[in-house]
Amino acid sequence: MKRFSIILALCPLLANAQNLKEFERKVTEFTLPNGLHFTVCERHEAPVISFHTYVNAGAVDDPEGKTGLAHMFEHMAFKGTPTIGTKNWALEKKALEEVERAYDVLEAARNEERNKPDADRTRIPQLEAALKAAIEKASSYVEPNLYPRIIEESGGVGLNAGTAEDSTEYFYNLPENKMELWFLLESARFLHPVFRDFYKERDVVREERRMRTESDPQGKLMETFQATAIMAHPYRRPPVGWASDIENLRMGDAEAFFNKYYVPGNINIAIVGDVKPAEVRRLAEKYFGPIAKKPLPSPVVTVEPPQDGPKMAQVESPSQPIEFIGYKRPDQHDKDDAVFDVISGILSSGRTGLLYRELVRDQKLALAAGADAAFPGTKYPGLFLFYLVPSLGKTLPENEKAFYGVIDRLRKDPIDAQTLARVKTKTRANLIRQLDSNSGLARLLTSAYANYGDWRKIFTDLEDVEKVTAQDVQRVANQYFTDKSRTSGFLFQGAQK
Amino acid sequence: MKNPGTAVNLVGGVFILAAALTAQTPSYKLLHYPALPELKLPHIESFTLPNGMQLYLLENHELPLVRGVALVRTGNLFDPPEKVGLATITGEVLRTGGTKSKTGDQLDEQLENLAASVETNIGESYGTASFSALKENTDEVLGVFKEVLTHPEFRQEKIDLSKDQIRSGISRRNDDPGGIAAREFASLLYGKDTPYGWNIEYATVDRIQRADLIDFYDRYFFPANIMLAATGDFSAPELRAKLEKLFADWTVRKPKVPPFPPVRKEAEPGVFLVTKTDVTQTTFRLGHLGSTLDDKDYPALQVMADILGSGFQSRLMQTVRTKLGYAYEISANWGANFDHPGLFEIGGSTKSANTVDAIKVSEQELEKMRTSEVTPDELETAKQAVMNSFVFNFDTPVKTLNRLLLYKYFDYPDDFLFRYQKAVAAVTRADVLRVAKERVNPKVLTVLAVGNPKDFGKPLSALGMPVKELDISIPEPKKETSQASAETLAAGKLLLQKVQEASGGAGKLAAIKDVSQHQQMQVAPTGGGLKADQWNRWIAPGTFRQDAKYPFGNVAVYFNGKSGWIVTPQGGGDLPPAQQKQVEGELFRLYIPLLLSDRNPDRKVNLAGDGVLEISDSSGNSVRITIDPKTGLPAKEEYQTLQSQGPPTATTQEFTAFHTVNGVQLPAKIAILQNGKPFAEVTVADAAINAGLKPEELSKKP
Repeated sequence: MKRFSIILALCPLLANAQNLKEFERKVTEFTLPNGLHFTVCERHEAPVISFHTYVNAGAVDDPEGKTGLAHMFEHMAFKGTPTIGTKNWALEKKALEEVERAYDVLEAARNEERNKPDADRTRIPQLEAALKAAIEKASSYVEPNLYPRIIEESGGVGLNAGTAEDSTEYFYNLPENKMELWFLLESARFLHPVFRDFYKERDVVREERRMRTESDPQGKLMETFQATAIMAHPYRRPPVGWASDIENLRMGDAEAFFNKYYVPGNINIAIVGDVKPAEVRRLAEKYFGPIAKKPLPSPVVTVEPPQDGPKMAQVESPSQPIEFIGYKRPDQHDKDDAVFDVISGILSSGRTGLLYRELVRDQKLALAAGADAAFPGTKYPGLFLFYLVPSLGKTLPENEKAFYGVIDRLRKDPIDAQTLARVKTKTRANLIRQLDSNSGLARLLTSAYANYGDWRKIFTDLEDVEKVTAQDVQRVANQYFTDKSRTSGFLFQGAQK
Repeated sequence: MKNPGTAVNLVGGVFILAAALTAQTPSYKLLHYPALPELKLPHIESFTLPNGMQLYLLENHELPLVRGVALVRTGNLFDPPEKVGLATITGEVLRTGGTKSKTGDQLDEQLENLAASVETNIGESYGTASFSALKENTDEVLGVFKEVLTHPEFRQEKIDLSKDQIRSGISRRNDDPGGIAAREFASLLYGKDTPYGWNIEYATVDRIQRADLIDFYDRYFFPANIMLAATGDFSAPELRAKLEKLFADWTVRKPKVPPFPPVRKEAEPGVFLVTKTDVTQTTFRLGHLGSTLDDKDYPALQVMADILGSGFQSRLMQTVRTKLGYAYEISANWGANFDHPGLFEIGGSTKSANTVDAIKVSEQELEKMRTSEVTPDELETAKQAVMNSFVFNFDTPVKTLNRLLLYKYFDYPDDFLFRYQKAVAAVTRADVLRVAKERVNPKVLTVLAVGNPKDFGKPLSALGMPVKELDISIPEPKKETSQASAETLAAGKLLLQKVQEASGGAGKLAAIKDVSQHQQMQVAPTGGGLKADQWNRWIAPGTFRQDAKYPFGNVAVYFNGKSGWIVTPQGGGDLPPAQQKQVEGELFRLYIPLLLSDRNPDRKVNLAGDGVLEISDSSGNSVRITIDPKTGLPAKEEYQTLQSQGPPTATTQEFTAFHTVNGVQLPAKIAILQNGKPFAEVTVADAAINAGLKPEELSKKP
């Protein structure tokens, strides 16, 4: 284990180093024999605890033709266990098997139909009805939403989960006296997952896609932009999945995904709040110990080929214009990772960010303009993303011109010392402010551990940022912000009836 | 315990494995929980400064930060109706416009160099000024905070920027269906002409000037009208002394701020539709006014709404989402505010084809709440959720401090939350049924659907109430009408009469009873490039019909000045309000009546420039006509049309190739430009005057 004093030396400008030293004294960590890692941070200010489970698998791991699967499993993780959420597991289990059998028969018939167009036309509707009946039968054994209900009635707040390209995360907060309940419920859903109401939940997910993507112009643009910018790597696909993929996901797919990716060594958990570390360890061993050790899944093998020229995507929409511009960038382990963060700070942080100053404040071209240092994930090479939102009466070309002017200056002239110092100070202060909330801290701890193998990366990141020079900024801007590796995507108001 | 061996394993090993392991996990019901330690509420020091400002200080030494917020008794509820947006802009420019000694840009730099912030905002019923600083910069940041609060400069350039940003926001407000639903629902329930339901519009922003901001600030920003709370790594006595010294010279006194206007709204039940074609889902809301937080029934109402639609275990979630798979989002909420009723609303979104079913199911679930008692289990779950999560109301010092501040601001007892918790614990099943019966009224339910009605499957009228379509097109700012004086009006009339002369004479024009015209329209490639044939028929004074043949099918539109209809390949019906407004504009600009505007008492004909006429009417229609000095005939007309999304379109029509029909000069070619870019060319194939058209021919649907 590294000594924390090293970290202290690395952030000499921090207002009160003493506080951070105390902070490290509060953190303990351990790994169960099956590989599941826990990070615990004691904070006794209030009798509450935040729990954060980070699964190091996400939409990027969806099999081809089954996009949306990681997200679909995330939904299933709220369905309960063989003892929670059922009126009679033995009968429900049989009924669930019956659903799969009915679905298999239907799929087989559909496949035959494809080859023999003159087959019996009544057969498929009958099989569809049979499937529907089987689903309803299985559903009749369900005590709907009991799993989340137990959490909510036990005083759980902030109960949710999220599926990103790189990760799937589950989180909520409980009063400290209910800690054991979290251990029981969280271990149970990963020890004994059930796939009840899978096909109904598939409809819910399909609605989620309608809401977030199909009925939201920005969502539509983002999806097209992503698929245009990235040619081969799975980062090209939307995390919620393509509509047709979602509509054909099967229960067995989710189960296979779970078996492959939800292995203990691929999961890490942070617990922050009014806890005693020894008690956490005892309960962790009791509840998560029984999960069998399994080999870690392989990472994505596809490597995005170099981009050989600028790309463009247009999405027709009656909405007001928006543009995304992305440049290819390396992954989070690249030596220049911190330089990208600093560039993002220079360009789009607060009212001193260059894009705000230039496009919003001085030229009055944009309602908003900003950057995201890594999109859509950080584990694999992706994009450095910019967005431009023109003001009323201003056009995208006017905005682009000003934007490229800002980028050109970043490439030509080294950034001034004051701006660089400001970005570094803000990075440190932002970290301190994030440490303020139990749940925010829990999330940071798990993601640092999953991506860098050490929660201290939260702090050593500051060291990397501190080292970034004006020359680094100029060099990286020149190396990566090139026309050749650029993709732009925008909404346009096309022909309207 | 079931025997896992009997299960037929078709799905995969996990089920058998799961069943076998089940025995090892104890039931959650067997867990015993120690009691939570008693809530230790932090000690908040409070003082009143000599100038009347109230202070609330709470030390918290965990992180090296100091934060604070000043609560100011003001709000956008005090916006003058013709200047809606004044409070919002004042709240923003208070900070961005800088202080007497420093510009806003200089403050940005100074604060961000310290990774600190000072921000201001005015919302519905309070204003805030807040600061956040690393401990060692506390004094410097407090200095800025004080200057912003006491000596703002409201520099013009930041007022312009703020107004510009707000206009841009208005132009985008119909892009997102969720935003439309929230806004229109509030407008329907509170009333669109009240401070609770109105919107900032181009016109109201345009009227706001720097003097208005200064007046607004002067009225509400004075020490006795402010409560300042701070928490963080400081010593309370020291900070108190510091603040007392800092604000010692701020001694302005003003009369007490009056109470906020009350909510006054007669219920307007019904089904309302907003048509949005670029979506696959319908966003819906149903509800009516809620109550205030101190309503004696509020605890029972909240429990009722929780059982109906809050959280995974709620009835709506179970039925609409989990059982039917109709929606990702579905919830109910009994809205309550400190000082005025919130909105009781059920809201969700569902695929277009399920619109009617999803709304019906929601209504049924609501009705069930009113007809039978909830189960003991449901009541217990709802109560337990409130009781057990109670501690999260106090888990950070900031929450505790902010809540206390709000209670003081709205004159609620300090222990209001504890009283509420007690009241929830006492709620019975009979109480829930009683409040559902007494306070939820399905007869005055307002239902709003934002979506694409052609995909609804069943029409909204299947809900059993008349459907009213809402026009959400964004009102354009009052056009800059030219200065009109008796002279320019007389000169305008004179010029128009010359145009009448050049067109064949006023007598001939006035004798026209009807016009029929067949024209071909070619849309520019950038506009989609489609071709169409159109047959226009007009009977004086105001009956109009257009039959058009487009590549996608035939469209007929009819309007008689009061009402009209439209028939498209997808079906037909009454003219929706947005389109009716468009047709009214077309009627206003019809060529022959336009040339005779001087005979219409509702119209003003003004000389707006050399050879330029501006004709307007009392409904807000207006058009500018440029007269060709050589021929004396109209060369072009310019006007604006509202769009359902985005800003109005500026349209120009250029008239050429005049020819004689029944002795009247009419243009045979019209070039249409939109926002300065070519949009379409219209060529008149043939035209007839006084062909004896009958009104009943025009009103007959195809």
